[in-house]
Amino acid sequence: MPSETDQVDSTLVQRIRQNPTPALRWGVVMAALVLVELGALAGTVMSIPWDVPVNAVANAVPVLGDVFASVASVFAAAGDAVANLPTLLSRELIPNRGYHVPGEGWQNTFMGLEPKYAWLLRVVLVYVYAFVFLYWAWRGYLVFRRHYRYADWTPTDDIVDRFRGHTWGQFGLVLVAVFLVMAAFAPTVSPVTQETNIMQPYGHNVTYYDAEAGGVQTVTVGTANLNSQSSGQQGNVGPWTYDSYDRFHPAGTLPSGKDLFVFLAYGARISLFIGIIASAIAGGIALALALLTSYYKGLADMTAVVMSDAFSAMPRLLVLIMLVFVLRDTWIMQIYSGAFLLALLFGIWGWMGLWRSIRGPSLQIVENEWITASEGFGEKPRRIVSKHVAPFVFSYLLIYLSMSLGGYIIGAAGLSFLGLGVTAPTPEWGRAISMGQGLITTQSWHISIIPGVAITLLVLGFNAFGDGVRDALDPKAGGDGDASGEAAAAGGGA
Amino acid sequence: MSRWTYFAKRLVLAIPVILFGTSLTFFIIYAGPVDPASAILGQKATPERIRQVHEQLGLNQPLWEQYVDFIVDMFTFKLGNSWVVQPNTPAYEVIMNFAPRTILMGAWAVLLPLFIGIPLGFYAGLNPNTLGDYSASFGGIVWRAMPNFWLAVMLMMVLSQSEKFLLGFDWENFIVSTNVAGAPDMSNIWNFHNFLKASKLILPASLVLGSASMGNEMRIGRTAFLEVKNSNYVEMARAKGLPGRTIVWKHIFRNALIPLIPVITAEATVLVGGSVLVETVFGINGIGWLFFNAVMNGDLPLSGALMFLFILLLVGLNILQDFLYTVVDPRVGFESEG
Repeated sequence: MPSETDQVDSTLVQRIRQNPTPALRWGVVMAALVLVELGALAGTVMSIPWDVPVNAVANAVPVLGDVFASVASVFAAAGDAVANLPTLLSRELIPNRGYHVPGEGWQNTFMGLEPKYAWLLRVVLVYVYAFVFLYWAWRGYLVFRRHYRYADWTPTDDIVDRFRGHTWGQFGLVLVAVFLVMAAFAPTVSPVTQETNIMQPYGHNVTYYDAEAGGVQTVTVGTANLNSQSSGQQGNVGPWTYDSYDRFHPAGTLPSGKDLFVFLAYGARISLFIGIIASAIAGGIALALALLTSYYKGLADMTAVVMSDAFSAMPRLLVLIMLVFVLRDTWIMQIYSGAFLLALLFGIWGWMGLWRSIRGPSLQIVENEWITASEGFGEKPRRIVSKHVAPFVFSYLLIYLSMSLGGYIIGAAGLSFLGLGVTAPTPEWGRAISMGQGLITTQSWHISIIPGVAITLLVLGFNAFGDGVRDALDPKAGGDGDASGEAAAAGGGA
Repeated sequence: MSRWTYFAKRLVLAIPVILFGTSLTFFIIYAGPVDPASAILGQKATPERIRQVHEQLGLNQPLWEQYVDFIVDMFTFKLGNSWVVQPNTPAYEVIMNFAPRTILMGAWAVLLPLFIGIPLGFYAGLNPNTLGDYSASFGGIVWRAMPNFWLAVMLMMVLSQSEKFLLGFDWENFIVSTNVAGAPDMSNIWNFHNFLKASKLILPASLVLGSASMGNEMRIGRTAFLEVKNSNYVEMARAKGLPGRTIVWKHIFRNALIPLIPVITAEATVLVGGSVLVETVFGINGIGWLFFNAVMNGDLPLSGALMFLFILLLVGLNILQDFLYTVVDPRVGFESEG
């Protein structure tokens, strides 16, 4: 008898201890994968502007705040130290910046390769690494499922297996992963870093071979940029070409001479940040409200209906224009160049469609007998909804979240197209479209077209992923969900 | 609950909805970190003039009094004056100057997707899983993922070089000679030639604005059509020996329209929000353009009045949607309660 209960209640650690081989085999490879990129990983974590929340807390709370700030600074120092560790896929390992000396070939590049190929090699390596990593994480789930999970089968298995047979959804997932990797490895996949090329072009130098002077010259990046502008007839550095300083531009240059690919890679960070944070806020509000209203019904439901109608009655994009203008000089606009404010506002004006889509399912679930049963056991309402309702509703929420995420990205791009929102010079895809708008009929067409294609692909990826999740959750639904969800995905007209 | 009681309940609920939106607009403008007076004056702000503007706007009164005044003014349609965009002109007059272009654009933006999206969706539903169905569906999905403003930029490029991109088709001289983009002349709009000219100028913008809805209408139209086609009563009609044409038009079409109602009204949100961007790209000085310029130039009283009108418009369209539901679908009120 005791042995049986032991087996039933054995923890994951105990189960691993009983049969360590598969876990060990998986863990070793995973550790190796993490170790080679530990520096980059920490670098990404450290690139979040931690000092803003820390300083806010330190200023708000008198004594404890100082203690908190000093503890945080220790963490910051440790994080920076780890971030400086050498990594496998760093720019330094495969440098692509160099110059061509006639007769001697390319200098300073990886094994004397042309910058084009050195850059391409690095990008391919990054993507290979990232997809191997993602595949291995997925393998981890399979190992867990096969060897260590107590239940042989759970309903989730069916959902996962259905998704594995859904090509369109997987296509969406891959598209999203491509952009996520681009955002996470932005410093590595860019031909030059954002710091040198976009933020402080006059604080950095570029070396090149000057045929007239007959030697190697050095100018600031800013001067070089001025001579590699893409502005139609006056000059153009198109995609997949070199400028006169032997710098390679995979996606051409902007009218200011800055590199478009760097702009896109770092812009992906901002776009995904806004999309994900806004989704988290909107999804959180929608989930909390859905649980509340489905459990209490009556007045709570009525209030939520009115609130939801009230928020949807204000056109989101126009309220955001107004709010961004009014809040432009406040401290909240300083956080992450205004991206945080945008994410917050998109979240606050984004929950209505989500809530309406999950209200029906959550009302149905609350009607089930197991809810009445747990009420009979005297469980608290909070526990009932979080344990017995939320897991079911959450999967529905995921469908609509994935679709509305695209809407937030489009909305943020639309605002920066108008010159609002994310402040220059921090890259935002919409601003590139607006910069190239007047040049689209000239040879500098790439400035507007490429960022637009990038937005379309990213949004398409999220939509396709949402389609896949929906079909995996409910194979009977087959085609489309209800119209409010579809409208929620439209992005408020941007 | 009878369906008309249900509808009446919806009407009553609209009041707190409008009140909430208007209050929020007030707090954004008058209680936010930006002083409307200094926003209006901009560079020319001196303490003396700020005090003058404060007095004229009633900003020297306590906040709650300003709030009550604002709400009462709005609900009685006293929209106040424009300060910067057209100084000392009643907001009502300014809006009336700019509105016709947006109304024309919006009308076309609703009509175009109706006549393209729904037939395409029904066609796809009539011939499911054919090449035509797949290309229509895939096209709709990609179309939906494109940002409107980018689509507008692209369309501008294609139309301004239409000979090059559209196999020698000359858009500028098609039917009537116009520019590719720009503000249409809205005087004498009831003259057919002028109407044609204005419509042609505005058509690209309407197409872009309607594009998202077009994709939605197509997808939902297809599903609705398929669902209705396979339903029992259609089978019954077929068993009775009704001709195919009657089945499609009398039994399938009408029922397939029901799920399309919210898509058509949801378009209103897209229209109001998207008009800012699309009007900016195409250089049409309509309401969206006016709102954007009012905000950016610090004409906050005007933008508040506009926001109130937008809220009224959206709430009104929502009520219209419920009205249509009540008329088209006799089941309303029996199934759901809220």
